[in-house]
Amino acid sequence: MEQETWIQNILESTNGITPAMPNENLWAKIHNKIQQQNYVSPKTVWLVAASIAILVILNITLLKTKTEEKTMTPSAYFENSLNKSNQLYQ
Amino acid sequence: MIVEPNHFEKLYQEHRVLVFNVALNYMQNVEDAEEITQDVFVKVHHALNSFNYKSSYKTWIYRITINQCLDYIKQKNSQKRFFIFGLKSQNEQEYLNASTFEHPGIVLENKEEATVLFQVINTLTENQKTAFLLSKLDGLSNPEIAEIMQLSISSVESLVFRAKASLQNKLAEKFTQYRKK
Repeated sequence: MEQETWIQNILESTNGITPAMPNENLWAKIHNKIQQQNYVSPKTVWLVAASIAILVILNITLLKTKTEEKTMTPSAYFENSLNKSNQLYQ
Repeated sequence: MIVEPNHFEKLYQEHRVLVFNVALNYMQNVEDAEEITQDVFVKVHHALNSFNYKSSYKTWIYRITINQCLDYIKQKNSQKRFFIFGLKSQNEQEYLNASTFEHPGIVLENKEEATVLFQVINTLTENQKTAFLLSKLDGLSNPEIAEIMQLSISSVESLVFRAKASLQNKLAEKFTQYRKK
């Protein structure tokens, strides 16, 4: 009986609980966290821009090289594929 | 992403006490509860534009708060491992087990009993603890809890029932220690 009463007292100990109030500074802290997450450093912006520029230049260079190979005439291709020493026989 | 500042601030003013108290009841620590409250509202701010109005703001914010509490506890528990190859504790609430938390909203004559209650609440499973806290401390109805936890009403009823049964068993064990004092 004593045990049951004790247990019941524990379970009912939160009856009449009033809500706790959060710190008034929380709004400012939340605002700061949001601002920090929205901010992107200039260094990051420059790095991304530089990476994109390098990729674009590489792609243009690659495309140019492929275009030159395609426009080569058959005789020019033959000349390019000859042995550099011009020895036709081993 | 553009969020109307007035709308977000209004949401904050309407729900800050709710969020703080849910976090406080879960974490049983004012500093952790404040940290979680901040994280919850930062998440709310980021997700506000994609809110789909399938639930109320209150339900949505409740869910974010509970998930944030659970993540925080898991993070704290993983930091408490004694060595890198240590076994993970079966009880996710391990770091809360030594709690001697005194809730600021409890009436003076009940503080000692409430401290014991918060200790044994930490021995419940995640879902039982969530359901019990929302029911007992937040005073929510079973349908409201079901919507927040995205469970059926019967599941919530079962969770609350089992939570109470488990608490009574744990308190019966504690009674013997209390008697020895």
